[in-house]
Amino acid sequence: MSGDDSTARFERIVQPHLGDAYALARWITGDRADAEDVVQDACLRAFRAIGGYAGGNTRAWILTIVRNTAYTWLARNRNAVVTAVDDLVAAENANAAQAAPFAGGRYDANPEAELIARADAAKLEAAITALPPQFRDTLVLRDIQGLDYREIAAVTEVPVGTVMSRLARARQRLIEAIAGDDQ
Amino acid sequence: MTGPMTADAHDKDDRTALLVHAYVDGELDPANAIALEQRMASEPALAAERARVEVLRRLLRERLPRETEPPALREKVRRAVGLTRRRAQPTWMAMAASLAFAIFASSTGTWYAMQPPAASTVPDAVISGHLRALMAPQPADVASSDRHTVKPWFSGRIPLAPRVVDLVQDGFPLVGGRVDVVNRVPVPSLVYSRRQHLISLTAVPNVSAGTTTSQTVQGYNMIAWTAEGTTYWAVSDLNLEELQLFARLFRAAPS
Repeated sequence: MSGDDSTARFERIVQPHLGDAYALARWITGDRADAEDVVQDACLRAFRAIGGYAGGNTRAWILTIVRNTAYTWLARNRNAVVTAVDDLVAAENANAAQAAPFAGGRYDANPEAELIARADAAKLEAAITALPPQFRDTLVLRDIQGLDYREIAAVTEVPVGTVMSRLARARQRLIEAIAGDDQ
Repeated sequence: MTGPMTADAHDKDDRTALLVHAYVDGELDPANAIALEQRMASEPALAAERARVEVLRRLLRERLPRETEPPALREKVRRAVGLTRRRAQPTWMAMAASLAFAIFASSTGTWYAMQPPAASTVPDAVISGHLRALMAPQPADVASSDRHTVKPWFSGRIPLAPRVVDLVQDGFPLVGGRVDVVNRVPVPSLVYSRRQHLISLTAVPNVSAGTTTSQTVQGYNMIAWTAEGTTYWAVSDLNLEELQLFARLFRAAPS
């Protein structure tokens, strides 16, 4: 592939999603300057990979690169503990057992919609930031960035069933967090 | 998806809850959606869950400020991948092109230029530093792949710590740093590696304009460029294409 082709493809495939890329990087790193670094890094990777890009959902493709770049970046620059994939399943099970958000009879104890509706932006943001990373990413991709389940499965590299359970648990935790300290 | 201790009843509720979320997200097929609507009509707990999820989604959409990228980011990205340089910019594919191409490109105003170095003693000194390092037990005085270790090490030894970037993802891990002497002035050299090859990158304070030269001296490839008042000299027995790739990555990397 010639340089011109790569350039044109990059402009067409990657540039339109820069806003989404930045937003996701910002949620993962929690910092705007770091998000810029991550996006630049990710774009460089995307540019290099673009010759082999087979087509398909461009936004899911670039967000996958951004997410992977962000976690690599965190591991390198902040010595963040990045949970290995195997551990994620265990962590998720532990989280599920601990939170058991949908256990029988729990529905009635859950906060009502009116209580949730009082949350302001700062509280929402803090609650999202406090979510475990795999829950947070799924929620951000769905409820803030508007990806569908299949796209989220592609970006986070898990089956759709896992996306569904993560999303439900993420929302449940968020609801509890924003309603919880509002009594 | 569920914990090892989970009972069947819990599993069932859990699955129903997932369906409510999928329903709100418009991810259910019509048959399942109708079935769930009927259940929600008769089971208040499910209806309440639906209401909470809908409120939460509305809040996230309406109350959370949209995060928009900084205006400068688009340009930074374009620069990082080399889109701002006009025609004939060397992409990674084009890196494989010959030196003749690079010379041609220089005439069209890109960052290659075959010009004699300002002072012929500088490349000699840089090569000598590289050779001395290869013969020494260690090519670097501070051996670390962490740029946050290498950069501060220089701070105590020379007036200006060099720009240190991490290129391990690109296959150029940082090996360390050392101080070389060029024109009787101590200057920082970074050492990177590529497979078995070492690359010395020497930063010489300079005020000359930003041109790039590449040349071969005593069988070593050298590339020089000037940025922000510093002339960088990359020297290695690595092939010229990969050394050019290194130079390009170093220049493009965020510091």
